[in-house]
Amino acid sequence: MAKNFHEIRDPIHVFIKLDTDERKILDSQPFQRLRHIHQLAMSYLVYPGATHKRFEHSLGVMELAGRIFDVITHKENVHGKIRELLPEISVDHRLHYWRRALRMAALCHDLGHLPFSHAAEKELLPEDWSHEKLTVAFINSPEMREIWNTITPPLRPEDIIKLAVGPKKLKDVTFSDWEAIMAEIIVGDSFGVDRIDYLLRDSYHAGVTYGKFDHFRLIDTLRILPRTSGENGGSQEPMLGVEEGGLHSAEALLLARYFMYSQVYFHPIRRSYDIHLKDFLLEWLPGGKFPTDIKELILITDNEVLVELLGAARDTTKRGHDAARRIVKREHYKKVYQKNPDDIRKNPESGEVIFEALKEKYGENNVRRDFRTSGNSTFEFPILCNDGRIAASFDISQVLQNLPEASFDYIFIRPDLREQAYEWLRDNRDTLLTRRIEEE
Amino acid sequence: MMVGSKRRAVILSLIESMRDKGGWCGETHIQKGTYFLQELMKVPTEFDFILYKHGPFSFELRDELSNMRADMILEIQGHFPLGPSHIPGKGADSLKQYYPKTIRKYKEKVEFISEKLSGFGVAQLERVATSLYVTLNEKEGQSLTKRAEKIVALKPHIKIDQAIEATETIDTLIKEVEQTFS
Repeated sequence: MAKNFHEIRDPIHVFIKLDTDERKILDSQPFQRLRHIHQLAMSYLVYPGATHKRFEHSLGVMELAGRIFDVITHKENVHGKIRELLPEISVDHRLHYWRRALRMAALCHDLGHLPFSHAAEKELLPEDWSHEKLTVAFINSPEMREIWNTITPPLRPEDIIKLAVGPKKLKDVTFSDWEAIMAEIIVGDSFGVDRIDYLLRDSYHAGVTYGKFDHFRLIDTLRILPRTSGENGGSQEPMLGVEEGGLHSAEALLLARYFMYSQVYFHPIRRSYDIHLKDFLLEWLPGGKFPTDIKELILITDNEVLVELLGAARDTTKRGHDAARRIVKREHYKKVYQKNPDDIRKNPESGEVIFEALKEKYGENNVRRDFRTSGNSTFEFPILCNDGRIAASFDISQVLQNLPEASFDYIFIRPDLREQAYEWLRDNRDTLLTRRIEEE
Repeated sequence: MMVGSKRRAVILSLIESMRDKGGWCGETHIQKGTYFLQELMKVPTEFDFILYKHGPFSFELRDELSNMRADMILEIQGHFPLGPSHIPGKGADSLKQYYPKTIRKYKEKVEFISEKLSGFGVAQLERVATSLYVTLNEKEGQSLTKRAEKIVALKPHIKIDQAIEATETIDTLIKEVEQTFS
């Protein structure tokens, strides 16, 4: 007899359970492609264990999305005000539909990733394209539409797209409060399962313990809550929050995020390899861009790129030879400067002026800059206190009030130039920091 | 178009102005204040706003606030029961010294908006900002009642009488802006 439910072993969630309809997505070509896309690009050159792929991450995201859905829609966990504001939560057949849509969206949320994931996506796609837009194209593809239609009841691809991509990347689409919360379960800043899974999984594979936290406790205490009880001019818009008993696990998640960004995602050597990979791809890809036609994109994974990269590293006549050689022979550019509080106080554009000065002194091709912050870190969410009040997370959590922002602004230089560049910067830093960028 | 540090200088001015007027600069205040500056006062901050948390909301602006915290231009203070508030950080003075012309150029508009919004709580901000969003995005000349009904459809936790009041506030404000700044 054919099985209706399937189980897949997973090092993070032990068993991931899926039904036959979800299995169809798993077996589809766009999803199978994720077996060959590294979750953390070339971080394995720094953390050798970090060779995991988008495939298992997507399964983990589906598993967690289902668990959270079951907790927040359980009758005993629904706040009175929310029952009034979100009628969907009391209608069984609608809950059934949205649970399915949510798990499918979780499974599909990374379908559009380029080879080596986020590395330099902006420069390697035509203007106005992103991996999220490619995800939309995959979800809407004939192969996937056929699956959506065969499910009972059929799933609307537009719902799956909304939940998988979220409002940040679907600017022309209006989300109802219910849809916004469903999307928040997957891509939310505070408790999105995308984040919960990648922190746990990346830390496990990279071999760093910073990403671990008590996600079981966190998930059990998640609730949909009005932002406030309505006093003091507060809004009652529904959003994801936690019961008071889950606050420490929520804090642990956000600390884990800070440490993982500081230690792994923003590791300077990893960022340097990203730059060389981008340089290689810009030379190797036709017109320096990945295709946006999904029939072509589906044929390009990390494997195809790596074969070309290894070949180019060995052959001086091949396009992208220099960048490929730097990756393969580990002759990556090295960090010569990073932003720091002293310099920012002297000049808010310290990274920019030092980058320009180093390019002028050592040549444009020999100097590179990379900067980023981890994105939103003001984690405002409602907390259902033991006495029934709703409080703002920030007001009762000292940890959230003092959580630092993970960010970096690195300047890299060709390795053989680093020592003299250090010396030159020592002599000229103060003068450089007085330079201004023209205001008008 | 205004990008990078110039845009940060305008956001910093808005925060300082709101604080000077006794306002509480939580993220909602900054989000809605910047939305009014950009869409009503035509200050070219170029953020993409969508209808999301508490009305018009920009993820780009949220990221910019994080960047400003990372660069010490802003800090955050918590205070029960109002939530987190943004205050100028150790790098704020240097930003102001580098961009005096930009700050001067938009000062009047920034002062006008902070005067109007700094006394509002989050729920009131949510209503007036959603009302401005609906007014700017619906067909021109749409009646006040229709716009109020649209607000309730988009944000069911807002009551119809609150939506009508917010829309009246917006209509008055639009007229005032036309008279003062045209």
